[in-house]
Amino acid sequence: MFSPKTKLSFSKITAGVALTAVCTVLSATAATAAGKPIVIGLTSDASGQYANSGASDRRGMKMAIAEYNAKGGVLGRQIKTVHIDTETTPATGSRVAERMISREKVGFMIGAVSSGVANAISQVAQKYGVVYLNTNSSSPTESGKNCHRVKFVWDGNGKNFALAAVKNAVTAYGKDWLLVTNDYVWGHNTSKATRGLAVANGAKIVDEIMVPQGTRDFSTVLLKVQQAKPSVVAAAVGGDDQKAMRTQIAQLGLGDKFAWINNQQDWPDVYGLPKKNLFGVFGTTWYYKLDLPGVKEFVAKYQAAYPDTKMKVPGNVFYNGYMATKSLLQAIEAAGTTNNHAVIKQLENLKVSAADRMQHHDAWMNPKTHQMQQTVYLATSNPADSAKDDMFKIMSQSAPSAVADMNAEATCKLEALADTPQRES
Amino acid sequence: MDIILNLLPHLLNGLALGLLFALIALGFMLIVGVMELINLAHGSLFALGAYVAMTIIDPNLSGYGAFGEWYMGLSLTLRYIIALAFAPVIVAFVGMGLEICMRRTYGKKAEYGLLLTYGAALVLEETIRITWGSAEQVLQIPDAISGAFIAGGMIYSNYRFFAAGFGLVLILVVWLFLEKTPYGSIIKAGAHDSEMVRALGVNLTRLRLLVFGLGAGLSAIAGVVLTPIWGLRPHVGVDVVIPAFLIIVLGGIGSFWGAVIGGILVGLTVGIVGALAPEWSLMSMYILLIIVITFRTRGLLGKKSALEN
Amino acid sequence: MSTSFAKKTPFITRPMIVLFLALGTFPLWGTSVGLYDYLGVEIVIWIIYALGFNLLLGYTGLPSFGHGAFFGVGAYSYGLFQLNVFESVWLAVAAGVVGGAVVAGLVACFISHRRGIYYALMTIAFGQVCWFVSMKWHTVTGGEDGLLNVHRGTLNLLVTDASLKDNADLFYFAFAVLVAVVLILWRLVHSPYGKALQAIRMNQMRAGFVGYNVWLIKWSVFTLSGAIAGLAGGLFAIAQESAYPDVMSLHASGFVVMMTLIGGGFVSFWGPVIGAIVFFVARDFLGSITETWLLWYGLMFMGVIIFKPEGIAGAFQDFVAKRRARVEN
Repeated sequence: MFSPKTKLSFSKITAGVALTAVCTVLSATAATAAGKPIVIGLTSDASGQYANSGASDRRGMKMAIAEYNAKGGVLGRQIKTVHIDTETTPATGSRVAERMISREKVGFMIGAVSSGVANAISQVAQKYGVVYLNTNSSSPTESGKNCHRVKFVWDGNGKNFALAAVKNAVTAYGKDWLLVTNDYVWGHNTSKATRGLAVANGAKIVDEIMVPQGTRDFSTVLLKVQQAKPSVVAAAVGGDDQKAMRTQIAQLGLGDKFAWINNQQDWPDVYGLPKKNLFGVFGTTWYYKLDLPGVKEFVAKYQAAYPDTKMKVPGNVFYNGYMATKSLLQAIEAAGTTNNHAVIKQLENLKVSAADRMQHHDAWMNPKTHQMQQTVYLATSNPADSAKDDMFKIMSQSAPSAVADMNAEATCKLEALADTPQRES
Repeated sequence: MDIILNLLPHLLNGLALGLLFALIALGFMLIVGVMELINLAHGSLFALGAYVAMTIIDPNLSGYGAFGEWYMGLSLTLRYIIALAFAPVIVAFVGMGLEICMRRTYGKKAEYGLLLTYGAALVLEETIRITWGSAEQVLQIPDAISGAFIAGGMIYSNYRFFAAGFGLVLILVVWLFLEKTPYGSIIKAGAHDSEMVRALGVNLTRLRLLVFGLGAGLSAIAGVVLTPIWGLRPHVGVDVVIPAFLIIVLGGIGSFWGAVIGGILVGLTVGIVGALAPEWSLMSMYILLIIVITFRTRGLLGKKSALEN
Repeated sequence: MSTSFAKKTPFITRPMIVLFLALGTFPLWGTSVGLYDYLGVEIVIWIIYALGFNLLLGYTGLPSFGHGAFFGVGAYSYGLFQLNVFESVWLAVAAGVVGGAVVAGLVACFISHRRGIYYALMTIAFGQVCWFVSMKWHTVTGGEDGLLNVHRGTLNLLVTDASLKDNADLFYFAFAVLVAVVLILWRLVHSPYGKALQAIRMNQMRAGFVGYNVWLIKWSVFTLSGAIAGLAGGLFAIAQESAYPDVMSLHASGFVVMMTLIGGGFVSFWGPVIGAIVFFVARDFLGSITETWLLWYGLMFMGVIIFKPEGIAGAFQDFVAKRRARVEN
């Protein structure tokens, strides 16, 4: 693929697309020696806003890979990983993806918490045809407007959680709703989903407070919330902003004064905090105390693999990283090849039983949006004075079909498989 | 009338916020005023102060036997006071270490000092991440100042008003120190004419060390006081440097009261804009700065500074 | 930046030829030393950006710490032009240049009568405003997700077309732009205008007394620097196939300052070039071997400032001077 070129060579390139595609296949096939390890690039953040979640995500991927390596790898080949910090910055995500593909020769890439980084990586991945798993970014645009043929999304998104929460909240808590929305794309999308569902179920939106991204002081916002006296406050505030808001709500004890409907709470973001910092109702895809077979063993496996980690029990971010990686490796095994088209086809028809996913319902990949359709749980702070780590109380669970993001299918336009460069590693 | 009544709590809140902003700017102000150095490590020292305080309040003393038991037996209030007193001292020493690294940049372009502190900020942030992990943490506060009170049908945070009051007191203490003690006179003289200070026989090297230590200590105090409101994570410093910067310029470099007024002005602006058009609250700081600086070249109370060259 | 008034400055110099030969052949040897074409593309783009930036910092002594704004505007201009107006690499890059120049020209109106720290701070404030607008005006810019799906496009070269899809080809294109920028800037800094810039750096008041229109010169050099940042930003949008608000953040604006100083922008025209190369290679290398790369990176950075604040170019000049002295003795 990297045939020597002179300085003027760019002038003579004509049907470059076709040529590049052919070269890729040829060089890739030539390089595939039996027994050569499969290289997987881990693209999770190690610094910036999502450093902590990124680390948890990575532990999940590594545990799944270690399990496979222990039983002989995939297709008889060991799995090697490369990790480079994506810094919670999209521009860095692009560079890291380029490096992983062209220098480290990775066959697959896994990992994301920030949707900006996930987008940047997936654009590069699509260009080269490298299958990419977005493990933990829950923006609805990931499987909607910004979906790609090579990208598969494993987390529940804002729409899924809103569907699980809103209808019940209108009947349980009241009809006067106030929205607190982070003034950026994720916030707008999430709040739009909530607003639509709330109004459809008979609620009235009394006000919407826009919070600029980067806000650390929520005193003004909380005063406005008090002045509006709503029955329900639906917050779509994310990242560090949410952490600051949570602290300030806990200080005021406002968590009990209103019915708060939050989006997803990622486990690494709340672990170790006082329980009063958890307020209202929030979504999650998995909890370590789910009363299902296999969960206890899974937790024990985590503790054996990471005895020194401050986080003593696995959470949803770890779970997503682990499950996504495991499904990918299974797909490669089922395809019998690392050819990306074959693996994509496997993943598009992926079905995982509830028992294997340790959730209440069977999960399946939506081939039109590439988002995993899975059980969504609603949780709240655990009032019982049980073990310190047992922070959540699971309130309800919804089947994938009940919370499916129908809007995604309308907005997602996947590239044709034929237009995706072939690749093997 | 209703609008004014509705705005009243926001005004009060903005004032409290302003004092907090002024508190953040204090350590930054001292260093920029005296040393004419933009200390980009300010935010990291702020974070370091909070982390050290957190460790003092709730240390892991399981291996220390009797001492550990005795220490953890002390009340939270006592441990909090110990932290508030000692965390800034520890950070002051870190600041002094940084000043010693700085020495080779004196007399050269101001940009070098700025960049050195930028490098230090990266190093400190990563050291924090390695030592304490990257997860969100909580700095515990005594029950006496936590909780909330109700006034005019609205709930306010006790801690917030404690912090604002603390800010006010600290501002006065620093002012008294600068105005009423011989050290203060020397520091102020150093701010305006380092040649003169040297001629008077004051050890300039020691003066700079002292000022940097003091500035770093003040950054750390701000960290201890503010992180219970804003939360604690390794990159929390980033949230601090920009407002501090902005307030100093708004108030005028080298002016103590300029920084205080600048802080309060920013707090009030953010508070009121936040009430009327919340999506513009953060942006309003910058607009305020641009307006003020367009009409007043050296900020509200600024004097001529070597940094203008 | 030693300037000799007696000799006429040549169009092409030896360092230039060395740079063009060494960098221009990067795709041929880069992979064999563990680098990759895309890294080369980013390095070339940031060299362009840093060279333009050093017109301000190194030559005129104007600290602009919010320069990422113009880089970002260039990237958005490229993307918006390509997606909404007309599909042409040349015109879209031109849009990037114009976008950077217009915004910089506007900002320069507010700051050109200032100096020193107030200048620095105003540039930061305007940089933050631009960043904020790019986040907030998401119907146009795509908000924090960025302006996505910009495509690399095809370069019209009169006789033939060249696709920029492959990184090596994009590299040659960016490199050609770099050659042009180097030639132009080299002429510029050795022209009377360049002398005026340096006069302002040495002593702004004296420059005014001598008869230079200081305000106009400061305004024009800021606008020019913004235009070059816009150019680099436009190329960056091609490379990344997107435009992101992050490049406008204070953090990213700091990078270009760092590069310029590490390389030795104050003492040499070539400082920014060396700085950009070292910055990217070191970051890429450290980032791939350790998760705590920030620590080592920060320490390296502090080391340079403490022990050799004139940067790598300064160290090199010392070395050459020492050797010459030895030869002469």
